[in-house]
Amino acid sequence: MSFREKTAWISLISMSAIYAIYFWSAIHSGPHFGTLHLGGLLETVIALVIVQVALTIVVSIFSPKEAKAPRDEREKLIDLKATRTAYAGLATGIAFACFFGGFNPPIVFNANALLFILVVSEILRSACQIIQYRRSA
Amino acid sequence: MATIRNEIRRLRFEHGEMTQQELAEKINVTRQTVNAIELGKYSPSLEAAFRIAAVFGKPLESVFHYCEDE
Repeated sequence: MSFREKTAWISLISMSAIYAIYFWSAIHSGPHFGTLHLGGLLETVIALVIVQVALTIVVSIFSPKEAKAPRDEREKLIDLKATRTAYAGLATGIAFACFFGGFNPPIVFNANALLFILVVSEILRSACQIIQYRRSA
Repeated sequence: MATIRNEIRRLRFEHGEMTQQELAEKINVTRQTVNAIELGKYSPSLEAAFRIAAVFGKPLESVFHYCEDE
């Protein structure tokens, strides 16, 4: 498994796990979710950065050459294809959010819905990268 | 469906059993990319194809073949 594929796995697993905790607590936070979400979101982002940086350092230790090397043409192509798919997911999600936003839900719900769409798009991007790395392995 | 076949595996063998890693380092790509090219799962850019041919000292058409299946 290449270094880039490992980092895609790190991104996929860490984002899925950490944001699952955030959205779980957001759903079950009741009427006081406004302030709790800001603190919870900050904690989530910090946790995500720490986990991703720590795991990437560990992976880099085992393959230092690959970690230092720039992306080659195949890796760039995989990255572009995955980003294109994620963009389609993001655009579709935003279109749905705009449609359902017409029902006038609270503003915090809207922010969380948009964040959810963004997170799902990012997870989709990592998943697409992994699939393409596996296909051409 | 058209496919691009190549002779990289044979040429590596003929060049002192050059490893995929050694070839990858010579053409500035990862070993996984060399493996993908060799297996026909990834078609390299024209630039990478020329670099591969240059490593083996062969013309491009001796390394890569364009096959149009009927």
